[in-house]
Amino acid sequence: MFQYRTGQIKTFFRQWQLQSMVIPGIIWMFIFCYIPMFWLIIAFMDFSIAKPMLQSPFVGLKHFQDFITDDRFWRSIRNTLGMSSIKLLLGFPIPIFFALMLNEIRTIRFKRTVQTISYLPHFIAWTIFGGIMLNWLGEGGVINQLMMALGLQDREILFNSDAKYFWWITYFSDTLKETGWSAIIYIAAIAGIDPGLYEAAELDGANRWQRMWHITIQSIRPTIAILFILAVSGILGSNFEQIFMLKNNMNMKMAESLDLYIYNMGLVSGRHSFSTAVLFVRSIVALGLLFLANYTSKKLTGDSIF
Amino acid sequence: MKHNLIKLSMVIVLAMILTLGLAACTKTENNENKPSSPPAESTQQPQTETTPNPEQPAWQLDTSPVELSWFVGASWYGHSWGESLTSKYVTEKTGVNVKLEVPSGEANEHITLMMTSGKLPDLISMGSWENAVKKLWEGDHVYALNELAEQYDPYFFKVAGDGTLKWYRQENGNTYGVPNDSYSPNLMHETGMTAANQTFLVRKDLYEEMGKPDLSTPEGFLNALQLLKDKYPEYKGQPISPFFAQGNVPYGMSEYLQNLLAVPHEKDGKVYDRITNPDYLAWLKTFRTAYERGLINVDFLVDSDTQVEEKTNNARYFMMIREWTGMTAVNPMLAASGNPDSYYIAVDGPQNSNGDSAKLFPGNMDGWMVTMISKSTKNPERAIRFLTYLASEEGQRDLFLGKEGETWETVSGKPQLKADMAKLLETDIEKLEKEYGIMDTYWMMRNPVIINQWRPEKAPVIKQMEDFANGQADIDSGIYKGLDPLGDSEVAVSWARISQNWEEVLPELITAKDEAAFDKIFDNFLARRVNYGFDKVMEYRQAELDVRKAKMAE
Repeated sequence: MFQYRTGQIKTFFRQWQLQSMVIPGIIWMFIFCYIPMFWLIIAFMDFSIAKPMLQSPFVGLKHFQDFITDDRFWRSIRNTLGMSSIKLLLGFPIPIFFALMLNEIRTIRFKRTVQTISYLPHFIAWTIFGGIMLNWLGEGGVINQLMMALGLQDREILFNSDAKYFWWITYFSDTLKETGWSAIIYIAAIAGIDPGLYEAAELDGANRWQRMWHITIQSIRPTIAILFILAVSGILGSNFEQIFMLKNNMNMKMAESLDLYIYNMGLVSGRHSFSTAVLFVRSIVALGLLFLANYTSKKLTGDSIF
Repeated sequence: MKHNLIKLSMVIVLAMILTLGLAACTKTENNENKPSSPPAESTQQPQTETTPNPEQPAWQLDTSPVELSWFVGASWYGHSWGESLTSKYVTEKTGVNVKLEVPSGEANEHITLMMTSGKLPDLISMGSWENAVKKLWEGDHVYALNELAEQYDPYFFKVAGDGTLKWYRQENGNTYGVPNDSYSPNLMHETGMTAANQTFLVRKDLYEEMGKPDLSTPEGFLNALQLLKDKYPEYKGQPISPFFAQGNVPYGMSEYLQNLLAVPHEKDGKVYDRITNPDYLAWLKTFRTAYERGLINVDFLVDSDTQVEEKTNNARYFMMIREWTGMTAVNPMLAASGNPDSYYIAVDGPQNSNGDSAKLFPGNMDGWMVTMISKSTKNPERAIRFLTYLASEEGQRDLFLGKEGETWETVSGKPQLKADMAKLLETDIEKLEKEYGIMDTYWMMRNPVIINQWRPEKAPVIKQMEDFANGQADIDSGIYKGLDPLGDSEVAVSWARISQNWEEVLPELITAKDEAAFDKIFDNFLARRVNYGFDKVMEYRQAELDVRKAKMAE
């Protein structure tokens, strides 16, 4: 057993170049993810920024009671789940389709151009992209013009003034912005497939659809599973910047996500303890979801994170 | 399993190395910090020996070069120090070089972060309404200015104005900040300059072509909108937006509209719940009717700032509940455009059923921003002396007018902006502020009492709006501004919930399908408000008002 361990250490030192590349990441994670966990303690205190840390009085579960009894909290849970579910069910497969289609393009040059163009919007900040969206959705915007030209509506609609459109606006704008970027990881996974498999399948008489189904999709299945598990655990999260840009007083009842609720009811008033308490609960639920998704995926497909 | 254990222990060892490293870092930092304070004290001592003269500004005692960082709590503030003529002149004169810092986002959050880290800029200017200001004071992060002044520069008491010092005096007898743009009622009565910026604006050409319709009664308002819809639905190929309210629900459609309707702030010595005023509700119903008839859209409730700006710059609004100060750039531009009458003029807007003229907020004692000296500064004596200098007539003149002979000259005993500067002010403010740094470039300590006498006459298209606002300002109502509880106290949280709910309810009222629905939504809001703790909010407002009245009486 001892020998086994020294063997490990030896391997560690033999790979020191590789290991040292990992170290910055570990340091980063420790500083930004592990040290802050200690400060979850302020969720149980009446923390005040003006006082030194840890000198604030303990108040137990007061802040937890505060938000559990707030109807706006439950509304924000509903909105978050609504928006996340749409994104998960209708949004998750899109980058996979996109990657598969891109993979079937024969002209390399065209493929690269399409790929580059598709992920460019990812690099536009939401503050700007959101502004563009608002213009498109406005009275004189392209969407109204298009719909009227097609005869689908007879007068301008202020899309962002009607709460019922909001979830769909977030879904479409997110898809528009992120599809190309999210597809990269699948494209990378597809690139790693042994071409020998395709050649063999071709000799056996498999057509393109069959090759795509039996080779490409099967090979990237673990990638899909991992990303799906992560997506499920993120279901209580939302894209704060996106919602912050697109929300207004008229669509607030469908727009206020959990993050926005924390911002409005916590940070704006400087209630750090309250915000931490909400986040604390959210993290615990996310952890539970992660385990659940992981377990389900393991049972169903055999692929899992841990 | 074993495999994992080894990996785990590796991680833990690494982590420990890291924490130790971090601890070492903080230790050395502490060590570095400690020796730095004694020298600061030792430099202070020789100066206290020369006992500063209360009749003379103390900045003259020491004009050796020193750098002070100055946080300006406005993310949009884009000026720098050291390039413009004025800043160079002041640095040369006083030895103080200012390093301006602005928040990347919200000033409140930015300064809160700095407070947590314990490192603050030397000078801090923050909006007087911001939560962080109170926290800076309560958390002992800033110097009591009166104590600093006694020690290093008693001349401060001469220039800081007794009124403002008293206004910001805390219960412990100390004053931690000096405001800019602070107006006392006496001053406003004397000069007629009220700093009122609320106006009701209409587009001049349309308004006159329509025969100057009456907009002060619900009927007149609706008729004018109908006429607009029938005769002028478009401008430059784009649909006209009939109405806009600045600051959306919480400001333009609430407080501001209530001021236009002259809704009282108190009744029989008690704070009045203005939202339930019958005139106000009648006007909200008018807006509802206008929406129902398709005379207005809800764009004014949903547009983003950029969309509003775009519509304003293209003169696509017909009428606006909007501060004239936000139009100082647009109006001259519109007046110089191809359609020179498409600029905005102030007229009588919605009025209450008695036909009273509006009662607009004037400037008040709170002012705009307060400037403080943080305890992180290594040069408190230079900081207070610099503030004293800036608050004095000499400093105000240096910052506002610049250097004598270059940007201003004395004409018949009075300082006056040179003609080329006055021209630049009208044609290219950007250049004026960047190259010369005069007028409103460095407004952090701006005192209207002193500088307004040097202001050149404004362009007529701006002056019309300003005069209108001055004429309708209710000088004694400054005391009612911002009575609401802020921060993280229980009553403040109640108020945050109520006001955030109102922001959602008002659009529902305007889009309600009929008056019955309107009444129902409003009654529901009133009931919800009580649940959220509205009674406590009213008590708070009353207490706050009483305190202010007592201070005013002093």
